[in-house]
Amino acid sequence: MLTRASRWSRWAISLLALALGALLWQAVASRTNPAFLSSFTATAARIAELAANGVLTDALRSSLAVYLTGLSAAIVIGVTIGLVLARVRLLRVALESYIMLLYATPMVALIPFIMSMMGFGFAPKALVVFLFAFFSVLYNTIEGARSLKPEMLEVAYSFRSGEWGVWRDVLVPYTLPFALTGIRQGIGRGLVGLVAGEFFLSGSGIGLLIMQSERDFDVPALYGSIVVIAVLGAALMGVGRMLENRFAAWRGLAR
Amino acid sequence: MSTAERALRADARIRIRELGKHYGPLEVFRDVNLEVGDREIVSIVGPSGCGKTTLLRCIDGLIPASSGTIEIEGEKVTSPLPGIAMVFQHFGLFPWKTVFANIAYGLKLAGVPKAEIDARVPRFIKLVGLNGFEHAYPYQLSGGMQQRCGLARALAIEPRVLLMDEPFAAVDAQTREILQFELLRIWQLRPTSMVFVTHSIEEAVLMGHRVVVLKGRPAGVFETIAVDLPHPRTRATLSYPRFSALREHVWTTLMDEARAAELLLQR
Repeated sequence: MLTRASRWSRWAISLLALALGALLWQAVASRTNPAFLSSFTATAARIAELAANGVLTDALRSSLAVYLTGLSAAIVIGVTIGLVLARVRLLRVALESYIMLLYATPMVALIPFIMSMMGFGFAPKALVVFLFAFFSVLYNTIEGARSLKPEMLEVAYSFRSGEWGVWRDVLVPYTLPFALTGIRQGIGRGLVGLVAGEFFLSGSGIGLLIMQSERDFDVPALYGSIVVIAVLGAALMGVGRMLENRFAAWRGLAR
Repeated sequence: MSTAERALRADARIRIRELGKHYGPLEVFRDVNLEVGDREIVSIVGPSGCGKTTLLRCIDGLIPASSGTIEIEGEKVTSPLPGIAMVFQHFGLFPWKTVFANIAYGLKLAGVPKAEIDARVPRFIKLVGLNGFEHAYPYQLSGGMQQRCGLARALAIEPRVLLMDEPFAAVDAQTREILQFELLRIWQLRPTSMVFVTHSIEEAVLMGHRVVVLKGRPAGVFETIAVDLPHPRTRATLSYPRFSALREHVWTTLMDEARAAELLLQR
């Protein structure tokens, strides 16, 4: 366990490093043409402005709707299929090579195909997010569930557990931390998918804001929207990490 | 085995008849006959690979026998029966469950109502001396404490048959000795039918009312030795001349084969 003092010093060091980064940004920007680099203060001011006039909040709302739809589908379907595949050898062996192939495929390559199949709009963009996130969730869930020691199952059977009991008491709680590792990766990959989808399919949300700012030479807005999406990604990863720690307490400090 | 020994015992809770097990062409054991009384501890010793652990898993219904039958209180074992509990060499605790939840596991699966589980589990925590560790996770416990938890989980369902699969093989020597006497003490409080598999001859003699020596390839019951040591057995039992004599007897029975194997290797 971290002591209270060391937790405080962690926070203090992190904040200090961030403040130094902002200062550095400001210093470099003051010596650079503002057409290329917007300063920290100008960027922050523009974020506040865009938030106040509703442009940023609308963009965020639209992006989050796409993102959360795709991501939650990836989580639910990825974990479920992952657990089933871990339990059913025939299916797993049959699908293994497809999963490896798709996990390794840069999903951006599929975007033109998705566009020709589904056109523009909400669904194809959510699908892109889904595809970006899904295979991390699936892969980690399968690998996690398969690392369950057969002894654990033997204990369950010895106490007369049925298949449902095996899932409830053994398979799901054991696999959860592994699945959460996959989910955390999926959160990051899904965000890449979101911006890619918003760039290459119909422009909308944060992606559109980035492209418009660039077109309008609104450099502070360009930097502002990138900062916003970076912070969003970091926050979501933080949530993932928190859940992982919460459900992996039993693994102890050793791991 | 003599006809007298084959005759049905009135108090037999476990009846094993002509049991055989093979994996493909590999025959593990054959023609195993054994009866265990309702208040009896039977130790099974044998060289590594003689199938003593396999035999125990057959009794638990975890793996099917290839031939012969096992009956527990007249019911044929084809899958795990209710009221049978196993204590595993690897402890078999669920690392994501606390001590309390691990001990409650068997009760939950047996359909015991939650209120009764909450009343019963603390009694077994106390019985095995884990007070204060109810909410600890297995990784926070020493090996000895983990096996106390495994023991409590098995005892909590108040089993009619307790199957011990080298339960103390993975703990250090001192802890092992403590746990042996703890188990004997608990058995005195709640006597039941127990099969105790071990590779320690000393442990087999100390725990068992009878010691069954499994031996040969395929293995069979080579000899059954009645342990005529008084109960309750304590640390003092270890220093009885009769204890040493029995230990030597089992040792000689087992080691004939080991020595023969060694001679073969030397040649």
